[in-house]
Amino acid sequence: MKHLVALFVLLFPLNVIAEVVHYPADTERPAQLVVHGALDVSHIRPLLEDFHRRHPHIDLTYRNLDTLPLYRRFLASPDKADILISSAMPWQYRLANDGHARPLDTPGAQDWPAWARWRHELFAFTFEPIVMVVRRELVERYGRPDSHTELLATLRDHRDELSGRVVTYDPQRSGAGYTYAIEESRLSPRYWDLVTALGDVDTSLVDTTGEMLEGLSEGRYWIGYNLLGSYARRVVNADPDLEMVVPDDYTLVIQRLAFMADQAPHPSSAAHFLDYLISEAGQGVIAEQTSLGAVHPALSGPGTADAWRAEHGNALRPLTLSPGLLATLDDLKRQALLTRWRREFGREDASR
Amino acid sequence: MITRDSLYRRLLTWLLLPLLALGGLMLFQAWLDARQTADRAFDRLLEASTLAIAEQVQWQDERLWLDLPPVALEMLATDAEERVFYAIYDDRGRFVTGNAELPGMADAATGADDELHYRDIQWRGMALREGIRRTRLEDWRQRERFEVRVAHTQEGRERLAHQLLRGNLAYILGMALLAAAILVIAIRTALAPLTRLRRAIRARDPRTLAPLELPLPRELAELRETINELLARMRRVRANQERFIGDASHQLRTPLAGLSARAELALRQDDPAQWHQALVAMQETSARTSRLAIQLLSLTRLDNPEYRPELAPVALDELARRTVKQHWSACHRDGVDLGVEAPTATVQVQGLDWQLEEALGNLIDNGRRYGARRITVRVTDAPPVLEVEDDGPGIPATKRLLMLRPFHRGSDDPDGSGLGLAIVDGIARTHGARLSLEDGHDAQGLRVILRFPGDPR
Repeated sequence: MKHLVALFVLLFPLNVIAEVVHYPADTERPAQLVVHGALDVSHIRPLLEDFHRRHPHIDLTYRNLDTLPLYRRFLASPDKADILISSAMPWQYRLANDGHARPLDTPGAQDWPAWARWRHELFAFTFEPIVMVVRRELVERYGRPDSHTELLATLRDHRDELSGRVVTYDPQRSGAGYTYAIEESRLSPRYWDLVTALGDVDTSLVDTTGEMLEGLSEGRYWIGYNLLGSYARRVVNADPDLEMVVPDDYTLVIQRLAFMADQAPHPSSAAHFLDYLISEAGQGVIAEQTSLGAVHPALSGPGTADAWRAEHGNALRPLTLSPGLLATLDDLKRQALLTRWRREFGREDASR
Repeated sequence: MITRDSLYRRLLTWLLLPLLALGGLMLFQAWLDARQTADRAFDRLLEASTLAIAEQVQWQDERLWLDLPPVALEMLATDAEERVFYAIYDDRGRFVTGNAELPGMADAATGADDELHYRDIQWRGMALREGIRRTRLEDWRQRERFEVRVAHTQEGRERLAHQLLRGNLAYILGMALLAAAILVIAIRTALAPLTRLRRAIRARDPRTLAPLELPLPRELAELRETINELLARMRRVRANQERFIGDASHQLRTPLAGLSARAELALRQDDPAQWHQALVAMQETSARTSRLAIQLLSLTRLDNPEYRPELAPVALDELARRTVKQHWSACHRDGVDLGVEAPTATVQVQGLDWQLEEALGNLIDNGRRYGARRITVRVTDAPPVLEVEDDGPGIPATKRLLMLRPFHRGSDDPDGSGLGLAIVDGIARTHGARLSLEDGHDAQGLRVILRFPGDPR
């Protein structure tokens, strides 16, 4: 990669380490493009490289941020980034709803499936189920929990043995964890039983899927609950001790949402990049070289939403791109949900 | 571009323009209706949403609390993917929760337990429809008032309004087309008799003056009657002309035949004295014939209704004296006493002196020829009058009008052409003067009076 210059910068105002990838243009007067994304560089790199090969005249800078810093940074200076990519769907939706997004009017955008876009402003370009990852030890001793019901039963039946062996998102600190919690609580009231059971086994609460995978690989945890399938798949494929479980009762699916900033400094390059993300070419790269899951309706086979549907069709519950997402962000609702979550998590299971 | 005036176009314009204006008005009304209908339909969503939110507002932790139902926001967005905003405000106007600080209503609450308002607002550059519900908690102890404000963008409303309008548009356009078609047909049908009349006139033999006989609607029947009256007048005129021509040729034929006979007779003689006599007679006849021809010419010219000569001031008294002087010797030879009576002041009228001279000459001639012993030419002022009085045999009152017709003669005088009075009448008409024939002095002879109109100044 002769063009690739990866550098790590300390972002002082937010005190967050941001990873920056820069692809310089090959011309004298390059067009600029700044992409801010909550998507690991290792996952997006094939896309960036392919885009750069197709548009070498664009000087491309990709900055990887966490979801909440990304959101706050954008609100603080909405004219600094051209494209925003994030898996924090409610936050992205809110930005678009408030008029921060610029519509994309290309044939590709017109043809993009209606369930994966909003107003031609917000485009869902990946398909990432939320999964469980279990270690070989657990499967050998207590069997593989193939659904939430079975997980609940396993947790209840082997409370002492599994104590400290379970890991999941902390909904209080992680936006993703909070989003999953609110969606699961809407899907079934039994979710709260699961939270109680998770509390009973002193589940470790972490911020990212990466941390969970790390602990699982090291053998500290036997069960990881609610991991991003796209990240988990690579680690699981590389580690024979780990198994990925797509629950067959319901599986949440989140999608990375991308939009062009309304005050994008380089709107023309931004439109090119967004159009590329939802093009058959870009989606092909997603399907073949990443584990993000391609959405493009023309694509099928491994690594596509189509393949996921074929295998787990009934269980998949993609978050809908609708104003319901705004309710997720309501302060009082958040407080209420987190209060309840803390209460349920700390409660002794009365059924024992 | 000069557009030719046409009844068809006129009717079409005056009927189509109001029709178009009416159509435009209907369209505008339809648009307003569509907007209202769309607003009514979509305001129900605002109503339902505010209600769904209001029902979830509780008193908790010593404050207003809301467990926002996602469906309350979902229902605000239709297929048009509207942007959705909501906010809760407490009794004192403090923001409780929401995703936007939506503006409230300026007017004070009516005090009713539950009231609902809708309005269009501009907010952060977006055109929003806002629904505001003012209500209070239904709790035993807490009856705190609060306000739910929800708003969404108007794409859905506009889409529905456009759909409704499109439906109406097709209807209105169809009506307009139908009305226009009927209009065109109606005008064509109404104007068809006109075409028929035109064809009937065009198809006529140009020589015939027979009246038009075709059934027509009332308005055109009047026109047909008028045309027929005109035709009748033309028939009379033509009959007059034909008689005149007949008379004229007869008049010319007699002296010409005489000339021919006289010449023939003279040619059989050998005596130059006879020839001389014949030539004298022939010269007399030809002079008379030429005078007749001249009279015919001037009569024809005077009878032409399009003959409008330029009139100039003429002094009547001077004209009378001049003419009398010209005719004096002829009269004297015949032993006629010719005289003038005129005021000392000049009498002026608008006219042509040579015509008036001819008229006067004709009248003097007539008097002389029909056996007057004394002829007086008289000019009076105020009103200007020119009259010639003689003491000849006169004309009976019943025959006076007939005398004005060409070739009508009071006696069988071979020298008279019968045109004299007719020419005088024509000249009088050219001058707008009235000609009248009256009895002379002591109910003897004839007085011909020309009364000129008004004051020449």
